[in-house]
Amino acid sequence: MAAGFKTVEPLEYYRRFLKENCRPDGRELGEFRTTTVNIGYISTADGSALVKLGNTTVICGVKAEFATPPTDAPDKGYIVPNVDLPPLCSSRFRAGPPGEEAQVTSQFIADVIENSQVIQKEDLCISPGKLAWVLYCDLICLDYDGNILDACTFALLAALKDVQLLEVTINEETALAEVNLKKKSYLNIGTHPVATSFAVFDDTLLLVDPTAEEEHLAAGTLTVVMDEKGRLCCLHKPGGSGLNGAKLQDCMSRAVTRHKEVKKLMEEVIKSMKPK
Amino acid sequence: MPGDHRRIRGPEESQPPQLYAACEDEAPAARDPTRLRPVYARAGLLSQAKGSAYLEAGGTKVLCAVSGPRQAEGGERGGGPAGGGSALAAALTAAALALADAGVEMYDLVVGCGLSLTPEPTPTWMLDPTRLEEEHAAAGLTVALMPVLNQVAGVLGSGEGAQTDSWADAVRLGLEGCQRLYPVLQQCLVRAARRRGAAAPP
Repeated sequence: MAAGFKTVEPLEYYRRFLKENCRPDGRELGEFRTTTVNIGYISTADGSALVKLGNTTVICGVKAEFATPPTDAPDKGYIVPNVDLPPLCSSRFRAGPPGEEAQVTSQFIADVIENSQVIQKEDLCISPGKLAWVLYCDLICLDYDGNILDACTFALLAALKDVQLLEVTINEETALAEVNLKKKSYLNIGTHPVATSFAVFDDTLLLVDPTAEEEHLAAGTLTVVMDEKGRLCCLHKPGGSGLNGAKLQDCMSRAVTRHKEVKKLMEEVIKSMKPK
Repeated sequence: MPGDHRRIRGPEESQPPQLYAACEDEAPAARDPTRLRPVYARAGLLSQAKGSAYLEAGGTKVLCAVSGPRQAEGGERGGGPAGGGSALAAALTAAALALADAGVEMYDLVVGCGLSLTPEPTPTWMLDPTRLEEEHAAAGLTVALMPVLNQVAGVLGSGEGAQTDSWADAVRLGLEGCQRLYPVLQQCLVRAARRRGAAAPP
C-alpha cells in the first residue's frame, strides 16, 4: 500500500514524513548518512581515497607529473580536477564525454580548490619557469545516491592528504631533473574544506545530505563549503527556489558542525594508517 | 586538449617523474608457477545497478555493473580501476559475476585466468601473473572457462617463444586455475543472494 502511494504521489509521501520531522530512511532532517573513508586505496596512484556517504561512493586518485609552469605564473604548479560520472554509477548517465552534471561538479571542485587554497600552487613549483608539479585529481563516482558534491570534496581532501611527492633536484650541469624514488614527502595542506549539501523542500524545509530521490523531489539544492576556521570557501546554489537570510545562516551553522565531524573522522583514519 | 571545453584545462603536456628516475630494473621473484593469488569477490554492492560484482586479485581490482535491459544497446557496462596483472581475466570473471547477480539467465558462469611465459633462459608458464611478471614476460595468455559445462569460452594469447605443445600445456594449466577459482565465486554469489533475501521487504 505504501509502495503504491510512493510511486503515484512521491512528494505527498515525503511530506507525511517531513511533518513528523524525519525522513523515510529514518534519519532526522539534519542528520548525515553513515560516512566511511578509506585512504591509500589505489596502489598505482600517488594518493587515493574512497569515500562512502550512505550508498553514494566516490573514489579519488591523484597522479603527480612534471610540467612547465604557465607563462603568466612561472612560480606556480597545476591542480587539475576531473569528475567522472560513468554509466555504472547510475542509469541516468551515458558513456562518452563528460555530461552536464559531471562538468558542473568538476568546476565546483576546481572552485573549492581555488577559493579554499587547500594547496598553495607555489608549493608545487620545483624550478620557477622551468619545472613544476601538476596534480591530476581524478574523481570517479561508483554509486550515485545523491550528494555527490560532499562526497567528492571529502574524497579529494582525503586523497590530497595521502599524496606523497618524490624528491626532485635540478642537476646544475645538465639542467635536467633528477628524481629520487626513495624519498617522498607529504603535501602541505593549508586548509581543510568540507562541503555540506542541503535540499530545499516546499521553500522552507532544509534536508541535509539528500539522497538521489530527495534531490529529484526537492525544489532546490544548496552546498556550503567551510574550512576549519569557520570561513566560507564556496557557496553553490544552482537555481531552484529562493532562501531567506535566516535559513542561510542555519545552513552555515550546520556546515560548521559537519566540518568538525568530518575532521575528526579523517584524523582517526590517518592516525590508524601504517606509515608507508 | 585545445577546444575541449568540457574538462578543466591543465598544462599542454606533462611527463611522469619515473622517466627521470635512475632506472631500477626489478626482476620478479621466483615462485611456484601454479599458485593463484588470493581472490576477494563480492557481488551486489552497487545500489544503482541491477547487478554488480567486485573482484580483487593481488593488486588488480575490477568493478563491473550490469544495467538494463535497454533497447538493443547491450546491457553491460564495465568499469573501475584495474592494473596489477591479469586484468582481462579479472574483468571477464567480474562481468560474469555481475550478470549472475543481475539475475540474467546464463548457461554457466565464465571464469577467466591469466598466464604469462617467463623469458629465456628457462621459459615456464606462470599462472595468474602480477603486473611486474607481465611486464617481463615473453608471451601472455588468457583463458576463459565455463567450469560446470567444462567448455572453453575463449582463449586469447600473444607473444613468442616455447613450442606449440607448451602452449597446449599452458591452456590446460589455465583451465585448471579456472576450476580452482570457481568455488570462491559460487560462495560469493550465495552470500550475495542471502544478503538480498535478508534485505528484501517483508
